[in-house]
Amino acid sequence: MNIEAVIVGAVVGVAAGWLARRWLIAARRRKEGGCAGDCGCATKVKPRK
Amino acid sequence: MSASPDILAVALVGNPNTGKSTLFNALTGMRQRVGNYPGVTVARKSGTCDLGDGQKVELVDLPGLYSLAAASPDEQVVTDALAGKIEGERVPDVIVLVADATNLLRNLFLASQLAELERPVVLVLNQIDVARAQGLRIDPAQLSARLGGVPVVLASAWQGEGVPEVRLAIAEAARARRLLPRVEWPANIATALAELTRVVAADTGRPISAAEAQRLLFDTSPALPERLGWSAAQRDPVIRAAREQVRRSGFNPLAAEPLVHYARLRKALEGVVLEGAGKAGRTAAVDRLLLHRVIGPLLFAGIMLGLFAAVFWLAKFPMEWIQHGVDVIKGVVAPPLDAYPMLQSLLTDGIIGGVGAFLAFLPQILILFLFVGILEDSGYMARAAFIMDRLFSWCGLNGKSFVPMLSGFACAIPGLLSTRTIEDPKARLATAFVVPFMSCSARFPIYALMCAAFIGPLHGPGWESVVMVGMHCVGLLFAVPTAFVLTRYVLKVKPQPFVLELPRYQMPKPRDVLWRMWQNAAEFVSKAGTVIFAITIIVWALSYFPRDASVAARIKAANPTVAEEVVKAQVQAAYVEQSYMGRFGKAVQPVFDPLGFDWKITVGVLASFPAREVIVSTLGVTYSVGEGAKADSRHLRQAMQDAKWSEGPRAGRPIFSLAAVLSLMVFFALCSQCGPTIATLAQETGGWKWAAGSFVYMTALAWVVATLVYQGVSRIS
Repeated sequence: MNIEAVIVGAVVGVAAGWLARRWLIAARRRKEGGCAGDCGCATKVKPRK
Repeated sequence: MSASPDILAVALVGNPNTGKSTLFNALTGMRQRVGNYPGVTVARKSGTCDLGDGQKVELVDLPGLYSLAAASPDEQVVTDALAGKIEGERVPDVIVLVADATNLLRNLFLASQLAELERPVVLVLNQIDVARAQGLRIDPAQLSARLGGVPVVLASAWQGEGVPEVRLAIAEAARARRLLPRVEWPANIATALAELTRVVAADTGRPISAAEAQRLLFDTSPALPERLGWSAAQRDPVIRAAREQVRRSGFNPLAAEPLVHYARLRKALEGVVLEGAGKAGRTAAVDRLLLHRVIGPLLFAGIMLGLFAAVFWLAKFPMEWIQHGVDVIKGVVAPPLDAYPMLQSLLTDGIIGGVGAFLAFLPQILILFLFVGILEDSGYMARAAFIMDRLFSWCGLNGKSFVPMLSGFACAIPGLLSTRTIEDPKARLATAFVVPFMSCSARFPIYALMCAAFIGPLHGPGWESVVMVGMHCVGLLFAVPTAFVLTRYVLKVKPQPFVLELPRYQMPKPRDVLWRMWQNAAEFVSKAGTVIFAITIIVWALSYFPRDASVAARIKAANPTVAEEVVKAQVQAAYVEQSYMGRFGKAVQPVFDPLGFDWKITVGVLASFPAREVIVSTLGVTYSVGEGAKADSRHLRQAMQDAKWSEGPRAGRPIFSLAAVLSLMVFFALCSQCGPTIATLAQETGGWKWAAGSFVYMTALAWVVATLVYQGVSRIS
């Protein structure tokens, strides 16, 4: 396998992994009652007692 | 309040649009979103405030409310926060009540209610500069004396006036712990409240506060009794009897509270507020013109047309500079990588081509938000909402639906969060369902690309802004009948009175407007560097692989006499067509064929379902890869203008005909292409049912309407 294919494969793999991780974090934040917007805001709406 | 026990917790409360967030920003040095219309803050925001002597407090900015009788979810956040009913948060040590100095009587109603909470209070009379301009003179010392000695500060938060005094007053309030005097209820009401307190404690086993007893007696909302675990069977006869007692003292039970509070406040304000000659009538005079039945909507349409024309005109040159910059970078990066065509294509076609195509719209986004910021801060946007009221009241939406709709034009997510200001859950649901129809800023790049590439060159620059305004109206055009059917036949929403407090006109503050513009630009650029960057790489990989060497050999063998450049272009096009993306696009393209989309547009549309702005970078990649890596590669706009159907009945005709361009824009105007919006809709509606319904409905509607547009315009033209 040549070095070019290794570099390109790594870049594509990291991009795909990063997107998947981001999606999982957003899903977890939603589950915890945080902002579902995936917009990085700090709004946290906690459930009432 | 989540502050640690050794740091004071301070809550900022007040009526909507009194400048709480502006004061919050001035006290904490933070940059929370502010706006010259009610309902901007819908959730609690906190920051640290230095009181000046090294003492720090945690300051919490809460949504605006007129009374402690919380009817909507955002008001519930305030009453819960003040009562310490939010999990993990404690009762505030000091309450800073921000009141509009120009309308003291109405604003102090909330202060009068807050007295029941028995917390130290600082009363800030904000917008004192406007009050002075109106000829009002307020005596803070006398008012403080009438209100039990609580500190009263005159301030103009947006000018910075009185902010140091507010810091000192908070420290003083925490130290002296002076409370607002509680209202003296007439004997029968006091007896009814005492009886209610006793019975609730007996029925539920837990004592209730005086404030809670008043809510049970004076409000019709079942929220509090349900939270107390007081069943309808237990509470109904008790509350009925208590209200009967109130009636015996000559009061309507549901009107007794404001009557008693206002009678006391009028007395407290005697001699405190002196009216002089001022310019109170200026706003009313301007409103007579801007809110006129006929002139108002015409002026609104004119302002919108002018706004988009200015956006196109002013952004033209910066956009060209960015495109030139992208070409220069490509020219620098490509040659050293000639020996590595795969890596070269990833960098030039994928990353630089895709992200560059997206970033080219930064100047338009900046200018758009500059103008929107000016309109918002001047107070005109609230008038625009008022003008649109006639349309919305026809479709049965609540008067409070305007702010969410208005926010939806920037981004659907804050729009959906703003629906918390709507009391009626059904009206809230209907509003949340139609907010994603509003033309958010993520739709802007595709509209701008189509207008700049096709509408302007074909029909003249004036038409760009006309089509732009039209596209912003398309969503609204379908939102209104959708809301009509939802409110009238599905949810059966009861008509609600229209209440919208129109803010006064003011000169926009350059710092706030520029800050908001900067925030939007930063978000746009950060999106380009993160999500768009990653998606671009994936789209590139899917458009590049697999690369079968036999494809090139076959084309070269079939064209032995054709020039090398032409063969190269044919090979590149063939590679893209047989890539994973090409195969997938071609397989799905028949679904979008009635809309006039070829396989490349189809790929762009499908890639845009998680986030609609991805279309521009996807088209940037698919057209760049198809061209092959070369330093003088054409811009996306030119490549699209030259694109032609290669097969079928339309072979040789331009793919981007007027019909296809309009169809694509209409599809993007109506389609549900935003993952975070769907997730927020699910969160705000309490489940996935309405979110899934919204996705299916909007996507199907977009397909049908875009098909009708393509077929109709194709036949006419």
